[in-house]
Amino acid sequence: MNSNTRSWARSVFGWFDSRLPISAMWRSQVSEYPAPKNFNIWYIFGSLALLVLVMQLATGLFLAIHYQPNPHLAYWSVLRGIQQDSRWGWLIRDMHIVGASAFFVLVYLHMYRGIMYGSYKNPRELLWLVGIFIYLALSAEAFLGYLLPWGQMSYWGSAVVTNFVTAVPVIGKPIATWLRGSFVVGLPTLNRFFVFHVFLMPLLLLALVLVHLIALHHVGSNNPDGLEIHDNVNESAWPRDAVPFHPYYTVKDLFAVSVFFVIFFWFVFYNPSGWGFLLDKLNYTPANILHTPADIHPLWFFLPFYAMLRGVPNKLYGIMAFAGSFVLLACLPLLDRNPIRSIRYRSVLYKLNILCMAFSFIWLGLIAHGLATEHNMVYGLHVTEVFYLTFLALPFFNRTRSLRAKYIWLIAAEGVVWLIDVWMYSIHAHSWHLMLLTDWIPALYVLLLFGLAIIFPALTRDAPKLPARLTAGGIFH
Amino acid sequence: MRIAACNTDRNSPSPLVQDQAMRKKPSRPHSRSLASVLTAGVLLLASSCAWASVATTQPPLQPITINLQNKAALRNGALYTLHMCTACHSLQGMRYSSLPPILGLSKHRFKTIIGTNDRHYHDIITSNMPPSVIYAFTKILPPDLTYIARRHSPAWLYTYLTSFYVDPTQPTGTNNVVFHNVAMPDVFAPLQGLQKPILIEGLRYGSPAKIAIGVRPLTRGSMTPAQFDRTARDIVTFLYAVAHSHQQERFRLGPWIIALFLTLSVLTYLLYKLYWRRVMTSEERWWKINKQ
Repeated sequence: MNSNTRSWARSVFGWFDSRLPISAMWRSQVSEYPAPKNFNIWYIFGSLALLVLVMQLATGLFLAIHYQPNPHLAYWSVLRGIQQDSRWGWLIRDMHIVGASAFFVLVYLHMYRGIMYGSYKNPRELLWLVGIFIYLALSAEAFLGYLLPWGQMSYWGSAVVTNFVTAVPVIGKPIATWLRGSFVVGLPTLNRFFVFHVFLMPLLLLALVLVHLIALHHVGSNNPDGLEIHDNVNESAWPRDAVPFHPYYTVKDLFAVSVFFVIFFWFVFYNPSGWGFLLDKLNYTPANILHTPADIHPLWFFLPFYAMLRGVPNKLYGIMAFAGSFVLLACLPLLDRNPIRSIRYRSVLYKLNILCMAFSFIWLGLIAHGLATEHNMVYGLHVTEVFYLTFLALPFFNRTRSLRAKYIWLIAAEGVVWLIDVWMYSIHAHSWHLMLLTDWIPALYVLLLFGLAIIFPALTRDAPKLPARLTAGGIFH
Repeated sequence: MRIAACNTDRNSPSPLVQDQAMRKKPSRPHSRSLASVLTAGVLLLASSCAWASVATTQPPLQPITINLQNKAALRNGALYTLHMCTACHSLQGMRYSSLPPILGLSKHRFKTIIGTNDRHYHDIITSNMPPSVIYAFTKILPPDLTYIARRHSPAWLYTYLTSFYVDPTQPTGTNNVVFHNVAMPDVFAPLQGLQKPILIEGLRYGSPAKIAIGVRPLTRGSMTPAQFDRTARDIVTFLYAVAHSHQQERFRLGPWIIALFLTLSVLTYLLYKLYWRRVMTSEERWWKINKQ
């Protein structure tokens, strides 16, 4: 009986398998896909992000069923229809809210992993670029979804962002009107944002994630050592330092998923608004077109970009500054052309630079979390300079530089910082004593980086020799 | 299930509560005025340096501890909210039928003790006065109260409810310590009595101004101060319970879900270790070669 059932099941599966490459795909992409065996904790965020994407689609489906994309109904359709009237609506909604922020936490960590271990270098440039597009699509998705509850912060946040386009000379205003479908954020805006949020962007995200995965499996996974596993294969062409993705990384991911869910559900059940970071308190007031809030700010994951926007005392240049940071991220494969991938074998100052990159990004977020005071704006400007310079300084580490080259880099970088300052002074953007008070931030960064490179040349030296085989290490080994 | 009310209130509609840097532990009622003057003085100094352009002297918030298990407080709060506040304010996020579980009452007991203002049991709690009438009176629509306790901290709400004072310059004749130029009239005057402000020299949007940082009783109401204080606390407790209407369900379900995934974490960790035992890393290989 048992074996009969099994053979029957096998023949049914065989019928499908001969017409659809199920087992062939499973073998090539999962059970016989060689994954480097030294993945550490930084390598779990990609698969966790995929899990969150699926979870957002599932919870979003139920939310979309109960949601009304109409300014008169939207607010209470969320806060009564979903939150109170539908069974488990509160749970689904809080999972969607916490999931959105979790997505960004995971994606930021995933991106930083890529930066640390050089996952954007040859042959993974396109993989990185697709990843940047995923990040852009995700940002758009989060922004579009934030309008839907039609709270005060939803409304005014969208009003601010859709007004970005008006900074473009001449055609800006017509484009903004076209985007919103009306002169202010209103019914047409809510309608199209709803459609984009539940249909267009998820579709785009899924397609991009698929391309991302196909590209990844085509070029193979990078690893914390940044070595190519296919350089060292055994007789049957299996990389000696690889294990099959399944079962080794599937069981590891299962463990990661369990730990992730502990944290995730702690937020869902005990802290759904995440100390006001995951959901703004102001969103518990219905949108009021006649009442602009005193302090409009985006959710936490856009705060660093908001600081850049506020720091530059000109709307168009501010938007260019924050859009430019996306361009910088996309250009990472062009900027960092050092053949060594992993941060493990890069110089001390390179490590310091990567650390400054993360630090300045977090600092920008903290600045934007504060009020839009002149104090915070000036800090925002100077920390934005540091964030940009951490990228622009990457070519410095491409090869060993002569003493003269180091001086030129120092003077050029310091010159850029001072030029921006002179410009700011000349247009009286900020009071001069505040400028003087914060000028030290980029100046210190440049002096530290290139000054140390001049005084201690050893700090700019990468590891003389890379290991022949992957090394174990990291938290889970 | 005790939730200590926090004193911070990030997004207040009132421009008065804009400045974050200045929140102090409130003092005992007896020494309130002296302490508030001292506090405000310190705050004034702190405010004048960094945020000179937007600085506004902050009155101290009175602390309150919310206890959602205190059903008597919740019922008392519900009674006042549903029969007094709903004259003008709505609780559109709630239906009468969703209140009994929060208050720990049966449907019948709810109908007899609290009542539904002659509405249907499953009706949405809207204001008793038509909005047009309220608008004609206050020139503003009163905010909905369902999520007001998410919008403001319980300490802010409690301070707001207890600190109306007489201000002849206002159209309603009253003002509020934590909500400057508030449009709501002092509906508590018959219960609490009228109050006069404790004024200090402070800043409003960076300009010197008289700032009310507390209140003193002016006339007597029908309630003793202790009774009124209890009532205000009960109303805030009820509003908190309504704004966090799934709190009990969360706290009942949460431990199980988290325990489930903690258990799964342990099991999957063991599984992971079991599988990876046979994977030899290069460091181990190096160790074995050296041992031979």
